[in-house]
Amino acid sequence: MANVLIDGLKERISNAIKINQSIGIMLPGSNYSDLVQALFEYINSKPEEAWVYVTVTKPYGTLVKQYEYLLEAKNIKFIDCISRAAGILRSDSNCIYLESPSMLEKLGLEIMNIFKEVDEDTEKFLVIDSLSNLIIYNDAEIVTEFFYHIVNRTRAKDIHTISLAIEEEGLEKHLNRLIYLNDKILKVRDSFI
Amino acid sequence: MQEEERLIVDNERCKTGIDELDIQLGGGIPTGSTVLMVGSSGSGKTTLCMQFLINGAQQGERGVFFTITEPLFKLTKNMEGFSFYDKKLVESGMVNLIDLRIISERLGLDTEKYTAEDASALLDILRDIADELNVKRLVIDSITALCYRLQTPEMIRDFIFKLGSSLAAMKCTTLLTSEVPPMTFQYSQYGIEEFISDGIMFLGDLERKGDLIRTFQIVKMRGAAHSRTKSAMSISSKSGVELAPLLKSRE
Ligand SMILES: Nc1ncnc2c1ncn2[C@@H]1O[C@H](COP(=O)(O)OP(=O)(O)OP(=O)(O)O)[C@@H](O)[C@H]1O
Ligand SMILES: [Mg+2]
Repeated sequence: MANVLIDGLKERISNAIKINQSIGIMLPGSNYSDLVQALFEYINSKPEEAWVYVTVTKPYGTLVKQYEYLLEAKNIKFIDCISRAAGILRSDSNCIYLESPSMLEKLGLEIMNIFKEVDEDTEKFLVIDSLSNLIIYNDAEIVTEFFYHIVNRTRAKDIHTISLAIEEEGLEKHLNRLIYLNDKILKVRDSFI
Repeated sequence: MQEEERLIVDNERCKTGIDELDIQLGGGIPTGSTVLMVGSSGSGKTTLCMQFLINGAQQGERGVFFTITEPLFKLTKNMEGFSFYDKKLVESGMVNLIDLRIISERLGLDTEKYTAEDASALLDILRDIADELNVKRLVIDSITALCYRLQTPEMIRDFIFKLGSSLAAMKCTTLLTSEVPPMTFQYSQYGIEEFISDGIMFLGDLERKGDLIRTFQIVKMRGAAHSRTKSAMSISSKSGVELAPLLKSRE
């Protein structure tokens, strides 16, 4: 049963990212783990691509414990925005640790620096997990400005972006404004899948 | 004003090698300028200055770094944490690291207070070293520590002015680091250094959600149409100092 759901999500992501530069995925918190699993499986099936995964939701350490194949993966680099601020100190060759999720300018620099090292011909993808969590740690206005910059900069460099927005009460207004900067919006609904 | 007469060669620019900074400067620092690098403790003055020298050396411009506040072994140990720090350039003499305290000891100068004669002897030595090595980039880290040893405002003014003039004549671009207390709008400890310098770059902080965001701003640069906007600054092992547009929260 679970596989059907994950496969369905993978297919929707795959179809959407093929024809759009940037996609926003809105989902209820209850679907978060499924979506992340689908994303990682999708990424793992694309060894020839270059992915940067920004996590503001779960520490890198937790993610790789759950999905061990990520430790070996050569096609994905992580930027962990929350471990340092939570006092978790570790160092990994596959992950850059940001001191704090409020250092958005530094986040932007690190994202672009990773992509700078990737061959011109390699297809590039950025995942932001998630816009809703960035808003928890920052003012909504500054996140909007940050996201606006990122969408423009990645578009100029032909980098695809996938941004997650976990629906949360009180955040809808801000999230709606942000998510509509994307070319395509996917809404994940329990009933849908 | 005598300092206004100092010659800055038209349009010749000394590239810092920090892309965003060179863009803000309209190509680079006007060659031969004396620039004050202002910031509180830990703001990145030493790192930025070293990056400037290393980037220059990679373009074939020899540089010299005079340290006063930090002994050489500590300086090199800190810099080895950065990817940009290429030891080979130091070993080959393209970047020269010199402890100014050792020089003044050799000159037999009182390490705490300089007389006018001491100051003039030190000035001669600095000029000789710059000339002999034919350096195009020079750093004094920090000018604040040096000014502390120069006892009067006149001596400070005289020292920086003469140093700047000789180096400008050699087409050598100079960075002087200036230590100021945190969260202030002051550019130098003695209030003289800033007026005698051709340029001022300010490394500051901005508080956001309880975190300190590093900021960077060009306050003045004689002879250059430069940006005056405040940027966000990042220091990382991999890229050293980098600048990015500052996001403006409307708090
Ligand atoms: N390898 C590194 N990677 C990332 N950041 C570093 C690294 N080494 C140092 N830093 C950061 O850079 C800061 C120090 O910068 P630097 O020594 O250039 O400052 P400074 O302005 O010269 O300070 P001071 O006035 O104390 O001499 C440190 O406080 C630290 O936060
Ligand atoms: Mg220093």
